[in-house]
Amino acid sequence: MATNAFLLDISRCIGCQACTAACKTGNELPAGTQFIQLIEQTRGTFPNLEGGFQNHRCYHCTDAACVSVCPTGALFKEGGMTRLNRDVCSGCQYCTDACPFDVPQMVDGRCSKCDACADVVAAGGTPWCVRTCPSDALRFGDRQEILAEAQSRVAAIKERYPKARVYGETEAGGLGVIMVLPDDPEVLDLPANPQVPLLVNTWQKVVQPATMGLTGLSILVTGVAAVIARRNHMQELKLLHKEEAKADESK
Amino acid sequence: MTTASDREEKVLRYRVGQRVVHATLAISFLMLLFTGLMILWPPMAGLAAGGTSGIIHRVGAILFMAVPILYLIVDRRGAKELLVESFTYDKDDLAWFKHMGQYFLGHAVGMPPQGRLNAGQKLHHAGVVITSATVVISGILMWYAKGSLGAGGLAMAATIHDLSMLALTVLLVGHLYFTFVYKALSSMTTGYVSKEDAEIEHPKWIEEMGQPQVTGD
Repeated sequence: MATNAFLLDISRCIGCQACTAACKTGNELPAGTQFIQLIEQTRGTFPNLEGGFQNHRCYHCTDAACVSVCPTGALFKEGGMTRLNRDVCSGCQYCTDACPFDVPQMVDGRCSKCDACADVVAAGGTPWCVRTCPSDALRFGDRQEILAEAQSRVAAIKERYPKARVYGETEAGGLGVIMVLPDDPEVLDLPANPQVPLLVNTWQKVVQPATMGLTGLSILVTGVAAVIARRNHMQELKLLHKEEAKADESK
Repeated sequence: MTTASDREEKVLRYRVGQRVVHATLAISFLMLLFTGLMILWPPMAGLAAGGTSGIIHRVGAILFMAVPILYLIVDRRGAKELLVESFTYDKDDLAWFKHMGQYFLGHAVGMPPQGRLNAGQKLHHAGVVITSATVVISGILMWYAKGSLGAGGLAMAATIHDLSMLALTVLLVGHLYFTFVYKALSSMTTGYVSKEDAEIEHPKWIEEMGQPQVTGD
């Protein structure tokens, strides 16, 4: 499967909420649940103010921390996207703590997050948010092509936004949502260098298999030793009883 | 020195309260182990879907945490003895550790004389007490502070929880091993063991008790 990505051009977002509504409707999300949150931002200091919209959603990290910590495999990577199978979610909430972008939510005791409209995409369509965006701030397609598009868009707006940059090419091991930012990430409430602590990646990949292995080893060793040790103990008791009988006889 | 008649004679090893506490600990631990294993071992992960195993895990956790309180209520003396003796080691205990390999392989005769608990049992209990504390603390953190621990905090608590369970499970494997090798199960079912076994493995205890009781408590 090809590695896909979203293009999210913050400089073009007009905050119309069309993506939010299309996402909610298309994915039939229950009331109060949203996969995309548009947050209005006012940047700079008076009188040099500038407005914009933060598009808070799952950024589909390549090395997704939520996938690393998910014990049941409800969260998994496929085609560059971070997919969710709610049927096997146990509601442990590890993902809500592990996500560096604070994305997964708990709805009815199970994880709820953007699934990149997997059904729609599998049927040859594009995700609801992309299909409905009127300002061409959203696109979806092959990651390499999306990345090239993002770079050319940054080059085109450099004059107007000198700090413009691509975000998501390498951040957090590369994101599945490549962003065109008109300003520094911190100004747009995005972490400059999103980090996943080492322990998050070692806990289920190293610590847990080691735990299982050592427990299995202890069962194996004692299982074999039990047979030998039990026999030894029975023999020493038999010997003891023989000596006792001899001692009794000589009395 | 044991005599043939000692083989028939029984001594009370654990009072009824102690056996109830032990059973509570065993049941709650197995509940926790298997429901925990469901989210740790991928082939069993499907069983955790929906969160039922998580609820059973919490019920088990409350039972597990209630064990020390239960022990203090039903047998205060026994609880105190267990705790004090498990962290007190004498010369014979140290000598016992030197010959641990021999005991592991089923040779109890000729081991340095032991009291009510042998040095291995003491170390086992001490290990259970310490790793139970770490498993409970990390477990409470994940129960109540989840959502605000952050990625590093969650992974740290979960790693401590996993490693504590590794220690407790290996301790359990050893516990079952010695129970089998030295056919000691009756001490936790009827509470009685044969006097001969007690004299071989816990001569200082038998001596301490003077004339061993042959009737129940």
